[in-house]
Amino acid sequence: MHVQELILRLQRYWADRGCLVGQPYDIEKGAGTMNPLTFFGALGPKPWNVGYVEPSRRPGDGRYGENPFRLYKHHQFQVILKPSPAKVQEMYIASLEALGIDMRKHDLRFEEDNWESPTLGAWGVGWQVVLDGMEISQFTYFQQVAGIDCRPVSAELTYGIERICMFLTGIDNIFDLTWGEITTDQGIFPIKYGDVRHREEFELSAYSFEHANLELHWMLFTEYEKEGWRMVKDHGHFLSAYDQALKMSHTFNVLDARGAVSTTERPGIIKRVRDLACACARAYLEHETTKADAAQEVK
Amino acid sequence: MDTRTLLLELHCEEIPARFLKSLSGEFAEAFKAWALEQKLDQLRTEFFYSPRKLAWRVEGLPVAQADQIEIQVGPPQRMCVDESGMPTQTGQKFAEKWGIEFSAVRFEQPTGKKEPCAVVTLKKEGRPTLQLLTEALPGLVSGLHVPKAMRWGYSEFEFVRPIRNILCLFGHEIVPIEIDGVKAGATTWGHRLYHRDHPEAMAIKHPEAYETTLESAGVVAAFGKRRRLMDDQLKRLAAEVAGQVVEDEELLDVLAEIVECPKIIRGEFPVSFLDLPKEVLVTSLKEHQKSFCIENDKGELLPCFLTAANRPDDPQGFVKGGNEWVLKARLYDARFFFAEDRRTRLETRLEKLSHLTFHRELGSYVEKTERITRIAEKLAADRGLDVALAREAARLCKADLVTLMVGEFPELQGVMGGEYLRNEGQPQDVWMAVKEHYQPVSAEGDIPTTPMGGVLAVADKLDTVVGCFAIGQIPTGSKDPLALRRAGQGIVRIAWEQGWTLNLADLVEEGLGAVKARAVKPESESREALLTFFRDRVAYQLEHSGLPGPVRRSALPAGWSDLKDLRARCEALSQFAEDARFASLAQSAKRIGNILKDEEPREEFDAALLQQDEEKALAAHLIRLEMAPDHGALLNSLAELVQPLEAFFNSVMVKCEDAALRSARLSLLHRLRKTFLRVADFSQWQ
Repeated sequence: MHVQELILRLQRYWADRGCLVGQPYDIEKGAGTMNPLTFFGALGPKPWNVGYVEPSRRPGDGRYGENPFRLYKHHQFQVILKPSPAKVQEMYIASLEALGIDMRKHDLRFEEDNWESPTLGAWGVGWQVVLDGMEISQFTYFQQVAGIDCRPVSAELTYGIERICMFLTGIDNIFDLTWGEITTDQGIFPIKYGDVRHREEFELSAYSFEHANLELHWMLFTEYEKEGWRMVKDHGHFLSAYDQALKMSHTFNVLDARGAVSTTERPGIIKRVRDLACACARAYLEHETTKADAAQEVK
Repeated sequence: MDTRTLLLELHCEEIPARFLKSLSGEFAEAFKAWALEQKLDQLRTEFFYSPRKLAWRVEGLPVAQADQIEIQVGPPQRMCVDESGMPTQTGQKFAEKWGIEFSAVRFEQPTGKKEPCAVVTLKKEGRPTLQLLTEALPGLVSGLHVPKAMRWGYSEFEFVRPIRNILCLFGHEIVPIEIDGVKAGATTWGHRLYHRDHPEAMAIKHPEAYETTLESAGVVAAFGKRRRLMDDQLKRLAAEVAGQVVEDEELLDVLAEIVECPKIIRGEFPVSFLDLPKEVLVTSLKEHQKSFCIENDKGELLPCFLTAANRPDDPQGFVKGGNEWVLKARLYDARFFFAEDRRTRLETRLEKLSHLTFHRELGSYVEKTERITRIAEKLAADRGLDVALAREAARLCKADLVTLMVGEFPELQGVMGGEYLRNEGQPQDVWMAVKEHYQPVSAEGDIPTTPMGGVLAVADKLDTVVGCFAIGQIPTGSKDPLALRRAGQGIVRIAWEQGWTLNLADLVEEGLGAVKARAVKPESESREALLTFFRDRVAYQLEHSGLPGPVRRSALPAGWSDLKDLRARCEALSQFAEDARFASLAQSAKRIGNILKDEEPREEFDAALLQQDEEKALAAHLIRLEMAPDHGALLNSLAELVQPLEAFFNSVMVKCEDAALRSARLSLLHRLRKTFLRVADFSQWQ
């Protein structure tokens, strides 16, 4: 199983079950939940099904490409089903079968793992899905996003692409996975995950742990914050403001990896990101209500 | 009356293991209370739980409530009937209230009343249990206290996880309840694996068939049975590789809670990981992979592990292979942390401790370390230990909190610091002390094995306890969020079991001195609270040591803070725990107490004033008692005092007219009591 084949199968599977296929959002982020397709999609009353790949950057997890199991940037496949379907577990299990995992030969467990994102003011309850002892997915029923109760509740499924691919192939070094094959006039060449990403892992780890300019990042953090509040407060623009919140979050992660954030400062800084994200969520809901009212009047 | 068995099963998406037992128990209690209220007898309630099931079976429920006769007493007859024998307004109202004709009201004199009153007998027909259950069960379920409740889909119903099927039978009949849109039926679901080949739900014919039907579908419904089966497999699989399981009851509980089909798998990991400290391997395997380690008879680990699978077999070895693969990745991480942490000396991390808050009001770990150092130096000096080594151990004891390994496994705090210091070539006194200073970690846990470990452990705990008292964080009732009682108990246990010469009152002073700069409460207030706190801990220690009741009760009031003295007295007293003479001594001690109440006897008295033989004999005994060289000798003399004391009380009238004589007799008793109190307050010896 190649990395790209895994992604293609997941997209096909969920598209066939009535999901939009979304795209990664082009701003650095720590997890697929931060993509506006999820953050805003999980808010409000409208039904919403979407699945997409999200490259997720976690500066603190960087290992210079030297650790065969850990990455600065890994890929999640994220599915949001709103409202959560009654057969959601069965749908998820069938998706594993679509990846070629024969359930008759494996051990599957759903173990309690409740998810919380203090930067997004979001939490949910659910499980880590454990296959033969390995965590391959996170499964969450969103209860709140941006401090607002989710009505209806969404189910969020997050697959760890690299993990599952290693598991399926039995290869125990991420960089030895095959991303895919390219066909040229000269023949077919398999391309390894390492070929595509190893140098990136090295440089981004070095940047996060050693080279990132702290002064610049502190300054950026404050400026993004100002810009975000200006957009949401003065203009009621929640998407451009939310972009700034995402940038704040990543900037904070870089500072954190550099050890520049003390334990006492940390909650205060996370709260600054959360406050902006929550303001965006409120502006979004207000906008949706106004839109709905306007549509009502037209009728 | 006919009885039947009730079976209720909520089939849910996977319920968190930690809630299974409490939810099952809570519902069983609530049901019992409800049945009692409904006057429905029950014989026996069993409960079952597994990751996807909460189920209860109640045997011996009657099919209907018994008819009930109720007697209602109303106003006196004279107020209900007028002189002509006609009903008054009051009488009419009483009949109306109970919905009967006035003619059906009787007049009788009920017990406890002085005159005849209006009385009605009401017959309440018992209702069918099926009906009662139908009405009550949904409320009993939704009334459960769910610690981390959730909603799902469009529903506003809250529960621990979504309910997907309800099985509810009363005998062979379905109890037609509905919870959050799910209607109860007579079917349920077995193991997912089973239903791949059997897509239909399973019919449960009657409540008694519950476990056997489920077992045929791959689910062992009873937790206890799963645990037993797994325990057997663990032992067998460990024995196969000539080892034994590193036991962990808590882990076994967890494994039995997370599977429906109990199966233990044995896997292997590369031998090279055995270079990691044993504690790291055991903790890593447990926390990350819910796995047991296996050790040989020398206590050395084997490169094997045991974990649970939720299926009956492992036909192609995928489950074993997968677990081995993941474990290797985890151990790889542990080895990375271990190597990274050792790249710099532990000492270089001390600076980072200034950013690590111990407690908002008590400052950072740097401040805590300074206080611990001060206390540890004093304790080491008192114990005749090397003060410089104590200072070094105290200075370094918290540095491992900022290592990668402890960041990953907080429960390895102390253990890692000790390991790293040993690696750096620090003296054994230092690294062992650091390694042991969190001990004992539980009421039954081991205490530090070395004197220096004891000193550091006491210093650390004392700082925590006294610090929290000084800022007003005092444990009350069941509230002890910072586990101060456990810390206090640890202090007492270490000093007691290591046989320290220690006065707890002095120790409290030492702690108060160290935390002065951060104290918020007035020192005298904290001191008083701390002395009470430690006295309770000492009382518990006596109980914990298995000392007989009379010994505990009488030894403590005669002095609790000097631990060595207390221990010696308790040991001496224990020799006499069964001695009948001491029971008599207790009587006399009480008598002396009563006589001396409200008196102010002088210390000295002129023995020549004493007149009767009995009191002269007693005075002679007193001299011998006061000269007793130790507790043992004193107690032996006390045992012989029974006769003379009884004789004294039988014949001597203490409070006589002659003031001088009376004063001498009171002094004699006073001095006797004082001598008693050197070992115990015998008036508490019951």
